[in-house]
Amino acid sequence: MTSARAVDDIVKSEYEHGFSTEIESDTLPPGLNEDVVRAISLRKGEPEFMTEWRLKAYRHWLTMREPEWAMVNYPKIDFQSISYFSAPKRPEDGPQSLDEVDPLLLETYEKLGIPIEEQKALAGIAVDAVFDSVSIATTFRKTLSEAGVIFCSISEAVHEYPDLVKPYLGSVVPHTDNYYACLNAAVFSDGTFVYIPKGVRCPMELSTYFRINARNTGQFERTLIVAEAGSYVSYLEGCTAPQRDENQLHAAVVELIAMDDAEIKYSTVQNWYPGDAQGKGGIYNFVTKRGDCRGARSKISWTQVETGSAITWKYPSCLLRGDDSVGEFYSVAVTKGRQQADTGTKMIHIGKNTSSTIVSKGISAGEGQQTYRGLVRISQRAENARNHTQCDSLLIGDRCSANTVPYIEVKHPSAKMEHEATTSKISEDQLFYCRSRGLTEEDAVSMIVNGFCKEVFNELPMEFAVEAQKLLSISLEGAVG
Amino acid sequence: MSDEAFTGFAGWLAEPSDPPVEGRPDWLEAQCSLARERLAGLDVPNSKTESWRYTSLKGLMEQDFARAGENMTALQSDDLEEVLIPGLDAYRILLVNGRYLPELSAHEDLPSGVRVAGLRDLIANEPDLLRTHLNAVAPPDSQPLFAALNTAGMDDGLVLFVARGVVLERPIELIHLSVGLDEPRVAQPRHLVVLEDGAQATLVERYVSLGDSIYCTNSVLELALGRDALLKHDRIQMESPNAFHITGLYLTQSANSHYQGVNIGLGASWSRTDLNCRFQGEHAECDLQGLYLAGDRQLMDYHLDVLHSLPNCSSRETFKGILYGRGRAVFDGRVFVAPQAQKTDAAMSNRNLLLSEQSEVDTKPQLEISADDVKCSHGTTVGQIEPEMLFYLRSRGIGASLARRMLCLGFADEVVQRLSSDALRDHVSEQVGQRLESAPMD
Amino acid sequence: MLSVKGLKANVGDKEILKGLDLEIAPGEVHAIMGPNGAGKSTLSHVLSGREGYEVTAGSATFLGQDLLALAPEERAQIGLFLAFQYPVELPGVNNTYFLKAALNSLRKARGEPELDAVSFLRLIKEKLKILDLDDALLKRAVNAGFSGGEKKRNEIFQMALLEPRLAILDETDSGLDIDALRVVADGVNALRSPERSMIVVTHYQRLLDYIQPDYVHVLAKGRIIRSGGKELALELEEKGYGWIDSEGQAA
Repeated sequence: MTSARAVDDIVKSEYEHGFSTEIESDTLPPGLNEDVVRAISLRKGEPEFMTEWRLKAYRHWLTMREPEWAMVNYPKIDFQSISYFSAPKRPEDGPQSLDEVDPLLLETYEKLGIPIEEQKALAGIAVDAVFDSVSIATTFRKTLSEAGVIFCSISEAVHEYPDLVKPYLGSVVPHTDNYYACLNAAVFSDGTFVYIPKGVRCPMELSTYFRINARNTGQFERTLIVAEAGSYVSYLEGCTAPQRDENQLHAAVVELIAMDDAEIKYSTVQNWYPGDAQGKGGIYNFVTKRGDCRGARSKISWTQVETGSAITWKYPSCLLRGDDSVGEFYSVAVTKGRQQADTGTKMIHIGKNTSSTIVSKGISAGEGQQTYRGLVRISQRAENARNHTQCDSLLIGDRCSANTVPYIEVKHPSAKMEHEATTSKISEDQLFYCRSRGLTEEDAVSMIVNGFCKEVFNELPMEFAVEAQKLLSISLEGAVG
Repeated sequence: MSDEAFTGFAGWLAEPSDPPVEGRPDWLEAQCSLARERLAGLDVPNSKTESWRYTSLKGLMEQDFARAGENMTALQSDDLEEVLIPGLDAYRILLVNGRYLPELSAHEDLPSGVRVAGLRDLIANEPDLLRTHLNAVAPPDSQPLFAALNTAGMDDGLVLFVARGVVLERPIELIHLSVGLDEPRVAQPRHLVVLEDGAQATLVERYVSLGDSIYCTNSVLELALGRDALLKHDRIQMESPNAFHITGLYLTQSANSHYQGVNIGLGASWSRTDLNCRFQGEHAECDLQGLYLAGDRQLMDYHLDVLHSLPNCSSRETFKGILYGRGRAVFDGRVFVAPQAQKTDAAMSNRNLLLSEQSEVDTKPQLEISADDVKCSHGTTVGQIEPEMLFYLRSRGIGASLARRMLCLGFADEVVQRLSSDALRDHVSEQVGQRLESAPMD
Repeated sequence: MLSVKGLKANVGDKEILKGLDLEIAPGEVHAIMGPNGAGKSTLSHVLSGREGYEVTAGSATFLGQDLLALAPEERAQIGLFLAFQYPVELPGVNNTYFLKAALNSLRKARGEPELDAVSFLRLIKEKLKILDLDDALLKRAVNAGFSGGEKKRNEIFQMALLEPRLAILDETDSGLDIDALRVVADGVNALRSPERSMIVVTHYQRLLDYIQPDYVHVLAKGRIIRSGGKELALELEEKGYGWIDSEGQAA
């Protein structure tokens, strides 16, 4: 039986990846003003256009009001107590190879169970490890550069490929978009830039492991992926974070641009610190992710497995501008303890014959609160648009909640749009069936939940799917009694 | 309320040319002034107000409505003929421009235990009868703007009491007739329906007009169902094509009670219906059905709020829409399940047929669930007439436009069948068919 | 009655019918047999006017009219009837209403007055008997919740009511057990007359045990590759489509 005791066990399950790494950081004092924005730009040695771009965003941010969300509760953030820049204290040009990397940092990855060396060997993945805010190790660059793929930190890209960055940066998520995206534009620390030239199929899965480490440091990652006509790239993003006792804000921005016939697959496994049993200390994950299907027959696919953070607020979206373009969103979100997640997607159909698929699986346990919030808009020009949405919620225990808030706006009569949502719990019958076949209750729950999420896991690249399933099982450990 | 709002709605609150109800008891006076105070603190909703996200009040605010209210004694029974439904056998209550008209009503021979009266009469003569229920289902301190306007300007309406265990076989037909006047008027009828434990009744509530003048109806209904009570409630909105129509329906259900509401929306250029359901006992069932047709620059806006705060209740929300011409529809349904409301069974569905280039639908079916042992679902579709169905009919010799109409009526049929009598089913099918016949469908 | 000459039709970019010829005189029953994917259903659909097919060449003349220029309802009105392989369900559309609308549109096209309610009901009850159908069916929605057998019987019932000059039975035997098949076949046989022609499209010979064709045509790869009497069906049954295919190519 999924008893009250079981729920308590979930709440009590300790964060597996909790620890803190002691590294000296070159950190700006807390606070935000124009000087801080200039200082960030200066430290990163950015060209003039970037400094101006940041300042413009900052000035706009001052005119905006912090949003209040109906279904998310958290203490007010003091933006002046956050430090907006933190870089590992290393020589100016940074380490060139893994040998130069701080051994303590490498040890950090060992503790997380994702040693870079092994990752490289095992999966053939190019790893761009972001420790705090500055990229410190990039691998497999040679293979990629042979294919003409650019995969580097965004700071580097600003210097080396300004002509590629300038026209695209902020073109999908303008600084005026929302409060947190605006803040990101003003103070973003670093992130990833990917450029796939025309007709190139990226020879490997690209992966970045984000870690949040320095205490009290807001993280403002910025990712920009441009896929030229006929190209393909699969990008993987995974996160775990050290345990701490103060809330941390993470306001990232991800922009994807797909030209004619291009395809971008963006996968995320997010397992940041969710806070302790009282919900204290977890990460605030307020992220703006948006893909622009700019070209005809382009495709952008978001897959996410969200098990961490105290509060998650993110809606990876697709602007389906090109005719026959395709947008997909596959999501598994788990909230337990005092976690809150308000997540979903926006599918904006603009071009003709565009189609979108949304599959959202929410699992709530303990006192977890979860909201699916999605927008499907079929605009006046979007002839023959198609959307199918499936939102399923699974509730474990009687103190959690699951909300479904879809917005569906249809302005073209040829649209075909279907939305289905269900809410259920793991039934006694299902559990009994599994147990009568000799499974422990815990295995049975894990198996049923994994089955519930199957459609989404199927969309993940193989090595991520395995990790995601493991993560889900760990998240729900002790879910039965 | 902001200055803008007060200017916009001042006419709604002005005294009607008849004097207001005399001898209003203190408790009622207090409730009305509470509503006035509440209005003072309310802002006029705009597109940033979540519950008005898709519906603009601009057209309504631009009208300078005066208060309706004086008796329309000049009305003859012949005038009534054209709005009556053939074959509908019912006790009839007639309200004209918000005022109860006993001369043209017909509810003699009501069985004992059934009381039908005008609200105005009761306030003047038997106010104590109202005290337990009036403003109890929809408390004035939490009413939204239009309900508060109705309460603040409370004047007349239907009061129906059905005593414990009484089963009323013949339906009660409430006709709200709007007669065009020289200037745009607003009528704010207020209805109260109380079914005591084990009582059963059928209420047919209709909004109709003579002529196609501009006016506004802002009605509020309070419905209280006792234990084991059953209310069948057919609501047919067929206001003038230039009218504004607002309904706030507030329903409370005691244990084991059943409510079957069918909402048919065909008229008015702009209409807004809020249906609010609260359970006060376990094992109660609430069935909300709806069919709306919008064409010709019409707007139909439905908001449903079903609150499952107790275990073992069930609710169904089934709304279907047909949009053509420049018709627009908004559906915003919310099913809320509180932590203690285990074994809730709720299913919401909203299906829409879009028939023309400029028709539009915005739908937002929400579930908010905080209990784990529940069965809750919702489904929404927006689509067109299936080409295979159309081909099948045409291959039997039926012309394309009749075939389309038959398929639309077929789509509507699920809801039409829920109406309480054949007379109503025929009436609604005919009205739907007529509208579709004149609708541009290609 | 029906004359099809050099008919070519595409679905999307794919050519399905590749020059098909077929002549049918009044009172004749023609069976069209062929393997899956030969174009049997395409032929039924093109003749009845279903959307999604593009006729690229050839002609189809029915009772002196250019069939391909007519809307589906106009084809029905001059006496063409298609019994569907998969009759579509029409939820909420009442069967009686549907039958009346169809019958009256045909009568109107022929310049006959509409039937009054009493004569109409008498007529449909009489036709129901032929197909051994319960009149409860009249109160239901068209095909909604019907079993496979009921749907097929309902198709023949409609044919009995609408009295077409030419009926196309598109795989009417598919999904029927032997008893249902017999009922359907009896219904069809009862409707045979010197004025009425039929095209029986089928994959298997078994239906032809019950509905005896005057001619059998083999359709393969979008063409009629062989025609003969009913003995051709038996030969096909014995040797399979592979035989005709290889022989057709050899010839």
